[in-house]
Amino acid sequence: MSLKLLSANHGAALAATLAARANRTGRGFCSGVYPITPSTECMEYLCLQEIEKGRVVKVESEHSAMGVCIGAAAAGARTFTATSSNGLAYMAENCIAAAFMRLPVVLAVANRTLGPPWNIWADHGDSLLLRDQGLIQFYCADNQELFDTVLCAFRLAEDASVMMPAMVCMDGFILSHTVAQTDIPEQAQVDSFLPLTAVPHRLGDMPHTLGQIEVPHQTEVHRHQHHAAILGATRVYAGIQDEFEQIFGRRLTDAVVAYRAEDAETLIVSMGTIGATAERVVDLLRAQGQKVGSLRVRMFRPLPVEEIRECFAGKQRIAVIDRDISLGFGGVLWGEVRSLADPGAVVQSYMAGLGGGDVRPEHIVRMLADLLPRKLARRPTMMEAV
Amino acid sequence: MENDSSHQTAAPDLDYLSLPLEVRVHGRGGQGGVTCAKLIASLYTQMGLHVQTFGDYGSERSGAPIQAFTRVDRVAIANRNKVYQPDHLIVLDEALMGPQVLSGTAPGALLLLNSRSNPESYAGLYAEYQFGVVDATAIAREHGIGSNSVVIINTTILGAYARLLGLPLSALEMAYVSLGLGGDLAAAEEAYERVQMQARAEADANPAALAPITLPAAFPPVMPTTEHCADSPAALKTGAWSTQAPRYREQSAPCNFACPAGNDVRGFIQALKNDGAEAAAAVLLRTQPLPSVCGRVCPAPCMQACNREAFDGAVNIRSLERWIADHSALELVQQTATQRLRFAVVGGGPAGLSTAYQLTLRGHAVTIYEAGPALGGVLRNGIPAFRLPQEVLQRDLERILRLGVEARFNIRLDKAGLLRLQSEHDALIVCTGFGPPLGLAVDGAGLAGVEQGLDFLDRAKRNKVELQGHVVIVGGGNTAIDCARTALRCGAASVKLVYRRGREEMPAIAEEVESAELEGVRLLLHRQPVAFTGNGAVSALLVAEVEPGSPDESGRRRPVVTQRTASLACDKVLLALGQSSAMDFLPDTWQVREGRAWQGDQALNVWFAGDCASGEGTVTHAIGNGRRMALAALARLTDTPGEALREAESPVAAGQIRFSHFEVAPPHRDKELPPSARRGSFAESSLGLAGPEEADRCFSCGQCTECDTCLIYCPDGVISRSADGYRIDADYCKGCGMCVAECPRSAMEMYEKNRQEVSSCR
Repeated sequence: MSLKLLSANHGAALAATLAARANRTGRGFCSGVYPITPSTECMEYLCLQEIEKGRVVKVESEHSAMGVCIGAAAAGARTFTATSSNGLAYMAENCIAAAFMRLPVVLAVANRTLGPPWNIWADHGDSLLLRDQGLIQFYCADNQELFDTVLCAFRLAEDASVMMPAMVCMDGFILSHTVAQTDIPEQAQVDSFLPLTAVPHRLGDMPHTLGQIEVPHQTEVHRHQHHAAILGATRVYAGIQDEFEQIFGRRLTDAVVAYRAEDAETLIVSMGTIGATAERVVDLLRAQGQKVGSLRVRMFRPLPVEEIRECFAGKQRIAVIDRDISLGFGGVLWGEVRSLADPGAVVQSYMAGLGGGDVRPEHIVRMLADLLPRKLARRPTMMEAV
Repeated sequence: MENDSSHQTAAPDLDYLSLPLEVRVHGRGGQGGVTCAKLIASLYTQMGLHVQTFGDYGSERSGAPIQAFTRVDRVAIANRNKVYQPDHLIVLDEALMGPQVLSGTAPGALLLLNSRSNPESYAGLYAEYQFGVVDATAIAREHGIGSNSVVIINTTILGAYARLLGLPLSALEMAYVSLGLGGDLAAAEEAYERVQMQARAEADANPAALAPITLPAAFPPVMPTTEHCADSPAALKTGAWSTQAPRYREQSAPCNFACPAGNDVRGFIQALKNDGAEAAAAVLLRTQPLPSVCGRVCPAPCMQACNREAFDGAVNIRSLERWIADHSALELVQQTATQRLRFAVVGGGPAGLSTAYQLTLRGHAVTIYEAGPALGGVLRNGIPAFRLPQEVLQRDLERILRLGVEARFNIRLDKAGLLRLQSEHDALIVCTGFGPPLGLAVDGAGLAGVEQGLDFLDRAKRNKVELQGHVVIVGGGNTAIDCARTALRCGAASVKLVYRRGREEMPAIAEEVESAELEGVRLLLHRQPVAFTGNGAVSALLVAEVEPGSPDESGRRRPVVTQRTASLACDKVLLALGQSSAMDFLPDTWQVREGRAWQGDQALNVWFAGDCASGEGTVTHAIGNGRRMALAALARLTDTPGEALREAESPVAAGQIRFSHFEVAPPHRDKELPPSARRGSFAESSLGLAGPEEADRCFSCGQCTECDTCLIYCPDGVISRSADGYRIDADYCKGCGMCVAECPRSAMEMYEKNRQEVSSCR
């Protein structure tokens, strides 16, 4: 283990490199890459690495970048790429193809709002595009967590019972470009954590088609299987956490992260880096005697419904902060979790930090000030956080 | 940055640091502000502290104000928002200073400013800060940190930061090395020494006294997307952000710099490319009257200096000059002088012709007094016709004569003659060239068959000369090669050239040496004749092996003649060992100083030009020297300023050319007669270029060609075409330097707006 000062983008690429090298005695590693702000640094760093039995292919678009990963994964290689924003939108068709063909591609997303008008800064609108298409999704809050989650994503995506792509998301710039100490494991540790990639339906000596035409009944069954597999990922993840701890000597962060939530009367729920700032607010308000706690949803697909419901039990007021907006509805996370609270609880949607607005502790304090006197939730509210 | 305690500064006394600590860096895109914050993080990491560092990224690119932040704490850092209440403030660009930069700082905060000014000029300001000033830009520039467009100061200013914090300079070292910036430590060290600090006024240093941060109650209205279709920054005059700006500036081209004749090489090539051969001839004829000659026989130092050599081969400049001379019929018209002076030029070689031409062009009456029967000197009797055909020389000579130069032939002047000429003219310019050729003081040098090469060349030019048997040439210059190639054409069975040094050291033009070998001349290098033998006529020469010895003052290794000898049978020996510079024909009362004749302390109106004065030995040097002496004489006689001396500024180097903007295009070579067709024929062996396309390969180093690269690369679109090139809209130019960095030919530079000084690292 060694401590390195790394940006999260570089951390993601380094984790992918270690995972790639861990497959050197298997079918190797391949990555198709195309740059887009703010994920460019990730692919740049990856391009500079020497990977035995590995190849990073620079292509002409995000669509082709994922195309390379699909081809390589179908041939049994370990695969990884990174993108952002409209790049992800352009890649989306092939992301869905990778998912439905059950290929374990790992995709790092430096979240950036969609355009036009053009804006290079963070919100979750891009990755949430792919919410419903059978890809695992993680949202990370700090450099170490992002590094660990990318490593873990290979293990989870390639697990025989899961076998589907995994997205690891980091808020663009706010996390992707932030440099902090990151604990980097030895190659031998990664080797023992990641078994060789084994795609059961990979192309081999006998030619066959992947993703061929099918009839309604087949599609129904395949969707059902896919759904069951992604739901099972929560349990698989728990198992990986134990093994991760044994090998690396630190705990891989939980699927949902509760902070001083147990005795809290009011809960702040969020995803990504806002969750880290929220924990600072909890400390601040607790010092003033308010019983506030935080719940950060790290694994968004599959949604750890039971863990969230358990944490919500007994809470009367819940502020759900979304760094996204489902236009015509409200916060996406809010929509997902509001039914998990106790009957009668006030679950209010706040949307903040869209297009990179800097969500400061002051903003969260103000949301809570708005929530506390409420008897009923009002319509989803947006807060400017420039 | 291993997590090894031995790599960390042993938990230092951190009492003076109030943790958590927040640092904010203000700078401009391109100045390295983000790396600066990263270095600060690295510095605190060395102390075993937790850090978080990030930039506030915008879309404005280079030149725009940027911020970068570093948080430091004893525990892992949770919050993920920007820094609004910095404890340390570092400002990389003084022009940014203002309330916005200072916002959120508490009394007692550290403020470090990059500025040329000294702390006294801030008297009364920043009194409550722990304030330091350092001219990091100057220090970084002195240390060459940056590019040809911007100076990067982040590593420098941190030396001053360490000093303000009371950290030892050594604390920086690990941080720099870990980021691969160890080379910048010297600059940091200088900033550490040079930072000026202002004692902090006693003030209420309690940050809690600050008003709590409040969020704005209302945000400014935003136009709906359907109306938000104009670029909003148009109203913002971003030009006010910049402290430096780009400008177009012609710089010296290496070819021009290298040309002994002083030709505007870049100028005539660009004229050929843009406006054709006549326009190019007009540029050429300004400095030299013999382009047909130089386009064939010049050793072309311009091509050795050409920056394209480092890319895909030097531009074939010599042959372009030939193309221009062969494809234009330009006649220059004599100007009218306000005071028509009478000059006598002694000698009708290249220097005399150049002198006479320049003076005649300017409206003066010039008479050339030539000892021989015709003009041309060495061009006429020394350079063989297969390199310089008689009709080609004649073309250049006739143009000079048509301009009005008078020539008198077969006049060999003695001392009395020179005195008479001096008295009959306003000035006398002596261009008599070299004296007699040098001989070889060895046994048998007087044998029949041992002849001076120049005499042989002269004979061969005037009449048909027939040779038989084996011929040996002694020497390695152009005369030697000319002798060798002429001997072959005169029927020699074999021709060997004996030279005492290596091939690379031969003074002859490399292409001529290649041609000679192609035609069958054999080179015997590192050999020196020590005796000629024969019964009446030479039949062999004894050559000794020569070893390279210690270098002389010119850097060439001194030849050391060994005892190892061999005999070489031969029927003819031609000596080409250079010429003496005899001036014994001058009146006894004259002394030569500074290119001029003096009688005691009195300067006479007698100047010397060409090989008799400089001994530089090429046609091109003689032309340049002739022109310069003519103009110097004219300036003295008319009491006017002479020709401006060549700029002292060094020419554009290959490293300043953006090769990536050019396509690889190998040089156009001259067409050549096949070697089989050359034996026995004095027809010109090189046929020159097939067309003028070679001119397209010229980089035009240091001179704008209106290629539009600056316009295309400007991220702000502030460059536009104007009647005489380009216009830069100063209202919006942020001084990012991208146009300067991208200029393919180094015809732009950055300057400091308030001082008009060049500001980039060269």
